[in-house]
Amino acid sequence: MANVRLINVTKRFGRILALDRINLSVMDGEYLCILGPTGAGKTTLLRIIAGLLEPDEGEVYIDGKRVNSVPPEKRSAVYMFQNFALFPHMTVWQNVSFGPVVKEWSPERIRNVTSEILEMVRLGERRDAYPHELSGGMQQRVALARAIAAGAKILLLDEPFGALDARLRVNLRTQLRSLVKEQGLTAIHVTHDQEEALMVADRIVILREGRIEQIGSPQEIYTNPKSIFVMSFVGGANFFDGVISHIDRLGSTVDLRGGLRIRAHSITGRVGDRVVIAIRRENVHLRKSRMRGFNNLIGEITDVMFVGGSIEYVVRLENGMSIMSRVLLEGKGRVLKRGDVVIVSFHPRDCHVFPYPERGLLKEIEAI
Amino acid sequence: MSKTSNLLSKLIVPCTLMTFVILVLLPSLYLLSYVFLRWDEVWYEVFANPIIGDEKWRQIIGILLFSFKLSLSAVAFDLIFGIPLAYILARKKFPGKGLLEDLVTLPLVIPTSGFGFATLITWTTTAGIGGLLGLPSGIVSLNTPVPIINVPFVLFIVHVALTFPYVVRTVETKIESIDITYEIASRTLGASSLSTFRNILLPLSLPGIFSGAVLAFARSLGETGATMIVSGVSTTASVAIVRWASEFKIPTAAFMGGLLVLIAWIIILPVEAFIGKGRIRRRIRGTPYIPANLMRKLIEFERFASRRLFFIKDIVPLAIVVVVIIIPIAVVLSSVIIYWSADPYTGRIEGGILYQLFGPPNYFNSLTKATLTSIIVALISTYIAMCISIPLSFIIERRWYGRILRTTLKVPMIIPSSSLGLSVMLLWGPSGLNLIDSGIWMIILTHIVFSVPVIVESIIAAYEGSGIEMYEESARTLGADAYNAIETVSLPLIKGGIITGSILSFTRSLGETGATFIVMGRDITIPVLVVNMVEGLAVPAALFTSTYLLALSLIMLAIIRVVTKR
Repeated sequence: MANVRLINVTKRFGRILALDRINLSVMDGEYLCILGPTGAGKTTLLRIIAGLLEPDEGEVYIDGKRVNSVPPEKRSAVYMFQNFALFPHMTVWQNVSFGPVVKEWSPERIRNVTSEILEMVRLGERRDAYPHELSGGMQQRVALARAIAAGAKILLLDEPFGALDARLRVNLRTQLRSLVKEQGLTAIHVTHDQEEALMVADRIVILREGRIEQIGSPQEIYTNPKSIFVMSFVGGANFFDGVISHIDRLGSTVDLRGGLRIRAHSITGRVGDRVVIAIRRENVHLRKSRMRGFNNLIGEITDVMFVGGSIEYVVRLENGMSIMSRVLLEGKGRVLKRGDVVIVSFHPRDCHVFPYPERGLLKEIEAI
Repeated sequence: MSKTSNLLSKLIVPCTLMTFVILVLLPSLYLLSYVFLRWDEVWYEVFANPIIGDEKWRQIIGILLFSFKLSLSAVAFDLIFGIPLAYILARKKFPGKGLLEDLVTLPLVIPTSGFGFATLITWTTTAGIGGLLGLPSGIVSLNTPVPIINVPFVLFIVHVALTFPYVVRTVETKIESIDITYEIASRTLGASSLSTFRNILLPLSLPGIFSGAVLAFARSLGETGATMIVSGVSTTASVAIVRWASEFKIPTAAFMGGLLVLIAWIIILPVEAFIGKGRIRRRIRGTPYIPANLMRKLIEFERFASRRLFFIKDIVPLAIVVVVIIIPIAVVLSSVIIYWSADPYTGRIEGGILYQLFGPPNYFNSLTKATLTSIIVALISTYIAMCISIPLSFIIERRWYGRILRTTLKVPMIIPSSSLGLSVMLLWGPSGLNLIDSGIWMIILTHIVFSVPVIVESIIAAYEGSGIEMYEESARTLGADAYNAIETVSLPLIKGGIITGSILSFTRSLGETGATFIVMGRDITIPVLVVNMVEGLAVPAALFTSTYLLALSLIMLAIIRVVTKR
């Protein structure tokens, strides 16, 4: 029903480059998440698609038509704000019928459409309530109903759960996704919450400082991150600074400081290059005895943290570096204690190698 | 439909701006150009009169100095007692808080000449406190000065009462907007409540204190209605303008008015620039150096005062509200009853209200006429001002030059109203463009000038923080065009601000004296009538009319209360 295409979209605010030549296409019926830290330009991008902002350069196409100078009301793209922006002075009914009313449909048609959609989102009984009398979940359904009634083909969601508490957020995510899919809408959902993006998206766009860092399915993004930033931002990992000492057909060997040596299957750069090795926490295993193969390091547990269904250990290696390991809690599995000496091992396949970033490692993985 | 709204949107901004310039900006600036253009006349009358030489100039200097002394001391008094009161109103909850807030706001909507008269009889006659204490005369005479500042007592407390709300309400709003967690943090870090106030609240609320003080100062400088009644032998700048204008010494009046306009600009511009760019706070960052032992003494004192002298902070401001606002009003109300049928002291019915209203003096007739004029003026000027203010507020919020517009709008708010009236008369009247003569239409034109800023400020207050832009953008993406969005979403959201602003402007128009005096011609409004009655020594009639005015404004206040509650 509706697809969106952006070509070289650029936007500046004064001297700040908010978006830098963004190229992106969103398919019909797709649920796309734009994920990025605060200030990455996510909202700007969304507002440009909605028509609330005009790009300085580049083109926006909706359904193959260039819409750069088309006003927001003619785009069939409904913008949903963080707190849903339900009009506080109107009842549920008035909110939902807003689109049909301003489009001057016949009263009968307005009545039919509105009541049908209200039934669909199970809010028929609350039609005379005011937004502030509704729960967060109901407000979301009203917002969605209002968008559908207005004939939305594209839903633009700006951090739609930002204002809600954590538990509710998780419930609403799935509810929203299934409603969107049922209606066959195209959704573009902006968020800085990686968990949310991984959970609801068909495809994720990672945005950073106005540029697209990576586009891919949630699984692709997670298992095959293209940069240190993506790996750190989505899921997080252990990062070590080292130098390539050897390269062969099967991969490369990286020397860390203090004489530690890590073997990785991926090959990036040449011998002597400075690189960063990244290993997901859940790929780091702790054992009592040495295993066969590469990457067996000795360490001492310095901290133990429970994270819901799993445990995170902080292990200090011989060279003084710390590595984190996440282990699923299974049955009455034995829990290691602080001070235990363990063998830390990880498969060379799970070691990602990235060239050392120009701006330094910290700049890429800093808490976001 | 989209075509017409496109055309409309292209037209509405220039139209609004043009009306604004012609009806509001031009009158508030014209006086300066008048003085400039007719400089030789001004020079002749003020500096080089063949008979009295530069006597007028010396008079002007003397009057200005007196006005400044009066205004500065009133503002200083307001700040000392108004800030604690603002703090109590912003931070504490207690029974009767709403009532106290209303009482403090009362002088904003009260017709000043009525209030001035109330204060006058309270302090200087046996009908007031003097009589209650059994004295043969009032507690003070009209010209009893306040020690040190040497300003007549009655004049001083009238100015305090009329400027008090500007300081209290502005600072209160500012304090309310400051997150209380800073204070809690400071207290838990070991600072006493006074130290917390000095270190946290005071610096953070400084912009509010500043703008409150400026508004209060301007109000005091421009006050005419009450001042005319209580000034006695002393003359303030704005009263002088009215007197000179009525003696047809136009160049002198214009010169004085121009000076006041200039002063208004000089005060408002730097303050606006400072507050706008947050420079005040940056200045504060370099805290003045205080020797360590002195600092320790100060903190110790604050700790002691916070524990032991706290009640002073609560009691004194309350006492001031009672003395300067409540007592005069109570006295007027009771006097109306006492004087109803006859003078209580001589027993003569000629001194009673009934006789003066319906007897041979027939003040009732002039009162009905004045009421009619007042209400027509207030209705029409408020309506026109509203029509300008709504689009103007949107322009101020949404265009890059909005800030400049808003600053310009402060000018009519702080120009002394008699200067404004003079300016309007010179601009539109026979000596200027000769479009209209003095009378009801000119009163309306004058009242529009100060009504627009009042309504705009109210609308902006409702606009900011209501998230209107978000709602409007939502409406746009839901299919409403720019006009529909404003009509169905934005206007209903700021309705409260529009209504409050209109009522404020209506009451302001109802009570305005200074400007009206100059432009009214033969169409007298109620507050002017009060002044005339006092000058004609028809005290009982003045009593009745003052009460009548107070009642009107109290009703207005009650309406505001109901509207803003929702």
